[in-house]
Parts: sequence; C-alpha cells; structure tokens
Amino acid sequence: MTVQSTQRRGGGYLERPAPSGLADVIETILDKGLVIDVYVRVSLVGIELLTIDARIVIASVDTYLRFAEATNRLDLYEHGGKDLTEVVGDLQESGASKKVGGAVKGVKKAIKGGSDDDESSSGRSRSSRRRQTEDA
Amino acid sequence: MPEDFERVPETGYYVYGVVPVSGGSPLSLRGIDEAPVELVPFHDVAAAASVMALDRPPGRRAELMAHSAVVDALAAAGPVLPVKFGSVLESRDSVVRDLLAPDHDRFVDLLANLEGCRQFNLRASYVEEQVLGEIVRANPEIAELRRRTRDLPEGALHPDLVRMGELVSRALEEARAEDAAVIMDAVRGFVLDEAPRPGGGPDHLLEMALLVEDQRMAELEEALEVLAEALHERIRLRLAGPLAPYDFAEAG
Repeated sequence: MTVQSTQRRGGGYLERPAPSGLADVIETILDKGLVIDVYVRVSLVGIELLTIDARIVIASVDTYLRFAEATNRLDLYEHGGKDLTEVVGDLQESGASKKVGGAVKGVKKAIKGGSDDDESSSGRSRSSRRRQTEDA
Repeated sequence: MPEDFERVPETGYYVYGVVPVSGGSPLSLRGIDEAPVELVPFHDVAAAASVMALDRPPGRRAELMAHSAVVDALAAAGPVLPVKFGSVLESRDSVVRDLLAPDHDRFVDLLANLEGCRQFNLRASYVEEQVLGEIVRANPEIAELRRRTRDLPEGALHPDLVRMGELVSRALEEARAEDAAVIMDAVRGFVLDEAPRPGGGPDHLLEMALLVEDQRMAELEEALEVLAEALHERIRLRLAGPLAPYDFAEAG
C-alpha cells in the first residue's frame, strides 16, 4: 500500500524503487544535510512551511486509533487460526471494516503526498487535519 | 535610500552541497530555475551553488527536484556533503566567509570519510494483515477488545478502541525490536555506518540510512535479496539508492 512508486527488479523480493517522484525526494532530502547558521542565511519562509508540512504525524491518540482501525479491518478468516464466534463476527462486519480500511488508506496517502500532486492541492488537504511535528 | 531599508535582497546564492576542490572537472549542471551551478572554492573545499531570484516564496516541487538532481549528480562524481534544502546565502562572498571558511577543516575530514561511499535507505515494513493477525491471536486482551469494538461506527472515539490501539502499538514495538535486530545483523557486515531515519504507521518496522563503500554495494544488495525472500511472508524490504550521503553529512 505504500509501494506505488516501487518496482521489483528481476522478479526478486527486494524492492528497488526508482527515486523519481516528489514523495521519494521529500523523504530522502528533507531536513537532511549540513545546516547553515540561521544568522547568515537569507530568511525563506516558504521552505520552513514545507518542512513542517512534510513531517506531520498524527497526535498519539489518533495514532492508537489508527492501529485499532488496522486491527479491526483485519479479515482473519482468510488467514485462519481463530475461534468460531469471531468467524461469525467477521461475516457480519466485513462490509463496515472495508470502509474503515479505505479511510485509513486515505489518511496515509495524504501524509505521503501523492507523488504527482501539485503543492496547492496537497497543501489544502493537509491543512485541514490535526498535526504535530515528529520527534527526530 | 538607507541600505537596511530592504530586508531581503533580490537574489541570493542557493547552496546545494560542499565538495572537495581537487575534483577539478568543470560542472555543467543546471540547478534551481535552470541556473548554472558554479563551484565557489575556498582552499581544499568548494560549495556548489547557483544564483537564485528571491522574488517569491520558495519550497516548490521544481526546486526540490532541482536540488535533488544537483546533489545526486555531485554524488555520482565524488564525495559530497549535501547542504540542507532551502539554504540560501546572500552572496558569493558570504558562501566563502560564512559557510566554507569557518568549517573548512571539518568539511575536509567529513569529505575524506565519505570518499568512495554512497548512502542507501533501507526500509522494512510489515505485511500488515499478517503481523496484526499474529498479534491478535497471541494476545487474548486484544482479541477481546477487537470483538467488542468491531460494531462501533466508523470514526468512533471509544476508550476500548484507544486501549486496543495502545496494546497493538506496544506489541508491534516488541516485534519490531526483534525483527529489526535480525535484519540489521544481516546487513551490518556490508556497511560502514548506519543512522536511523524517522518512520511510522502500523506497518513500520525499520527505516535506516546505510553508508556503503562502492565495492560492497553488490554484496549488500545480494544479502538483502536473500533476506527479503526468506522474510517475504511477514516483511517487505525496500532499498533505495545509491544516494548522496544525506544522513551522514553531520556525522563525525
């Protein structure tokens, strides 16, 4: 689900991404490298904003909810190894759990920033969510 | 007109990275706004920089891509210390006076350490359904909470959900510590240095920058291929690179 810009080489199991998309570049370079003293740097507001935007993570309660959603949308039936009451529960709830799955994927996509999005649209979707800078 | 009236000058020197001056070969790179990249030398080091108009708020996609392309090209030619994206100095003089001169000796040392090395970014992620399934099956409390919360409407904020998420998160942390150790044991023989990178999400296992000597690259890739095949039912491995040593520019 997070490998849309990835291709496998020669049928192998190790994924070797072609680092061409914006998302890959942001992930690789943002916040990395030699830091030039702020007192000698020309102040550049736009860049600081972009840095913060790309590092957003959801606050801790939301993170737990994300884990919970992921756990609840599991379809354990396919993987076996559970008791009968759960099987019944799964059959009744599979419709609802799929919806949750879609929502979680949507959040993920927004965080990663679709690689072909332009800045204005992804910026808009980000600004509507709660955010917190990540501990380095 | 008083000189300090205008706070931001019209153009600046955008800096991509610091390289050894001995490289010699002239650059024919284009940077941000297609501006030619020049080397600003000072004794044994030089900064790769280009003139940039400061008439708009920077930080756009084209600028990120240009920065990345220039640093990659420098890395392909020899050691480079990437400078953090968005670093603009006032003038060519300032590049020498404020960037190169104060840290000249440190840059020389860092560049010597990076000679003949490239960075790879290794990411390991869980096959989410598989690992979360293992956790639910191994932990009766999580299984019970899951039974209780599956009927809750989408987006509900229920204490049981938070509790379950917390337990799952903790169980994942334990699994991660174990699995990450296995993975790093398999690659450590091929890397000079390693640095953790931020990562998150339910499927996150490991994000690591690896500093690898040119002659070990193929071995590293082979070792990871074998590992990826052995683990593929639970874990996916992804190796990006070779890259410029973004995560090792401040080390040492």
